[in-house]
Amino acid sequence: MAGRVIVITSGKGGVGKTTTSANIGTALAKSGHSVVLVDTDIGLRNLDLLLGLENRIVYTLVDVVEERCKLKQALVKDKKNPNLCLLAAAQTRDKSSVNAEQLKKITDKLKKEYDFILVDCPAGIEQGFQTAIAGASEAIVVTTPEMSAVRDADRIIGLLEAAEGIESYKLLINRVRPNMIKSNDMMSVEDVENILSCGKIGVIPEDTGIITSTNRGEPIVNNEKSLAGRAYLNVARRINGEDVPFLDIDEPKDIVGKLKKFLSGLKKQGKEQ
Amino acid sequence: MEQLANDNMYVIDLGHIDSAAEIIFELSNMLDSENARNKKICLKLGNVDLNQAQLLSIKSLINGINSILSSVDTKSTETEKVALALGIIVSNVSAENSTENIPAMPYKSAEELKEQMEAENTEIHDVMQNSQENNHDENINNSDIENNRDLNSLPNIQENTDINEAVQNKSESFQTADNTAVEELTHNENEQKNELKDELDIIFGSNADKSSIFQMAIPEEMYESKEGITDIAVPEYEYTKEDIELESFPTKYIKQTIRSGQVISYEGNIVIIGDCHPGCEINAFGDITVWGILSGIAHAGSGGNQKARVRALKMNAIQLRIANCYSRRPDSLNTVYIEKTNSFTPEEARIVNNEIVVFKIND
Ligand SMILES: Nc1ncnc2c1ncn2[C@@H]1O[C@H](COP(=O)(O)OP(=O)(O)OP(=O)(O)O)[C@@H](O)[C@H]1O
Ligand SMILES: [Mg+2]
Repeated sequence: MAGRVIVITSGKGGVGKTTTSANIGTALAKSGHSVVLVDTDIGLRNLDLLLGLENRIVYTLVDVVEERCKLKQALVKDKKNPNLCLLAAAQTRDKSSVNAEQLKKITDKLKKEYDFILVDCPAGIEQGFQTAIAGASEAIVVTTPEMSAVRDADRIIGLLEAAEGIESYKLLINRVRPNMIKSNDMMSVEDVENILSCGKIGVIPEDTGIITSTNRGEPIVNNEKSLAGRAYLNVARRINGEDVPFLDIDEPKDIVGKLKKFLSGLKKQGKEQ
Repeated sequence: MEQLANDNMYVIDLGHIDSAAEIIFELSNMLDSENARNKKICLKLGNVDLNQAQLLSIKSLINGINSILSSVDTKSTETEKVALALGIIVSNVSAENSTENIPAMPYKSAEELKEQMEAENTEIHDVMQNSQENNHDENINNSDIENNRDLNSLPNIQENTDINEAVQNKSESFQTADNTAVEELTHNENEQKNELKDELDIIFGSNADKSSIFQMAIPEEMYESKEGITDIAVPEYEYTKEDIELESFPTKYIKQTIRSGQVISYEGNIVIIGDCHPGCEINAFGDITVWGILSGIAHAGSGGNQKARVRALKMNAIQLRIANCYSRRPDSLNTVYIEKTNSFTPEEARIVNNEIVVFKIND
């Protein structure tokens, strides 16, 4: 059995790579696959926070590379899901601590034992990016429906096409706001696909629940009521080869519907507190 | 509050403050002054009862600026007892006289103290009928002082000689350390990390061979183990020789916020005036004292000293490591933001029965 190594990348920073990695990883693990999340954002690690695993990290990717520990030791098991583990980035080092060759060696080792290896890529097109994609054969390009993010995604896709190892790549369009699209204030999902001439694997709506889930260290896919959570679960199923229709992420149009949604939102918040 | 500075003495009057936490706060501000460096500090306290941990913290704070806490003026018998146990001169003149009068004994100038010491040394010589004539020979002096100690007649004299030496020694090393220390250490981080990881190996059993160390260290076992950070009442704590040894480590004094990604390592005690943000790492052979919120990783006794402690005004460390013990912050304690107030109760972590326990340092 050979696992799949998928890099989650974007070019532009802050569009949701880490959020996507944490959620797809958790979703895949929930469906019974063994998953390793690799954080390559050395010096600016976040993935551990999103998973609520920060207090468990003793060894990091850099320690593995510099042979201070064995690979197995550095894998931090998820609190809830025994199928999921994290290979954290070092916070006190920088991107130059790991090179492409070294990372490839690690992902090659991991894919012998795990079904999925998801690599959370740092922003930018420099060494950190080149390192992150080194071991991957598939890529998910995260973008938001904004001109600047789309431009950067285009640049990244160009680099992925030129990269030797990458066999396929798909778009994930994040923070979509249907109401803004309707009022022509935001590019539509189709627009983005057309501009980039690239197929999509997921559409994730803007969801304030993502912020709460980040603060709490629990991926939103664990919350079945959340639209964004369900959208991420669907992405995981598509990665698995299932043909899942894209969610209707439309926000209610009329005033009554909006009010209802608003009230239910309030209720949810009240419960959570 | 007044700060009288003469050549070598520095008086800090905190007599009006009545809580230990505030004393520590005030003190950390006051010690920022250049004048307080390389001095013998005389601390005037009011009625506050300080326990050992608190006085020890104050002592290490003062050591951090190359000064020595030479005497304490207090009305509290509790504080007096603790101070005496730490070898600090105590006077409670202010309890009897008016506070304006500077007590005679602890305020002597360095020369006077030296004279007094020499005079008293000679006396002891006579008492012991030591045939050695040469008083100026250092070795003999030292051994005599040891004897003094045994005789329990002049416990403070030795402290004073030590002070003179210590202040001299330290001021040299401190010049180079000072502010550049942080950068230096971040650059050296590679080696430091190495050290740290070596230390961590000990966690998993140092006497086992490599492969079995790794066996034992597979995260499942380690991570699922005890959650060491708890708040329980402070039991009586015996002050041992090793504690005193710990105090003789040099101390690095850092006044800045330690931010994510920064590493501070030192083969001695570290005193930080400021917050230590999540994502930073503090490694010390000796104690770590943070006068602020400690949220990163702190490793005290990273050279193996089991007696080392971590103190902080607010203990929020994501991981605490002392010598070969490890503990992590409980998942339930996921605080995104800690409000900064002046009313923190200082906390101290130390090893109890091979586990790291956090105590509140309560008044
Ligand atoms: N669908 C969404 N709805 C609302 N907020 C979102 C959504 N996706 C991401 N965010 C927010 O966007 C911010 C950035 O997300 P994230 O850290 O995942 O991006 P990133 O691409 O990994 O950033 P970096 O380039 O810095 O690594 C976070 O605060 C996150 O909560
Ligand atoms: Mg990120």
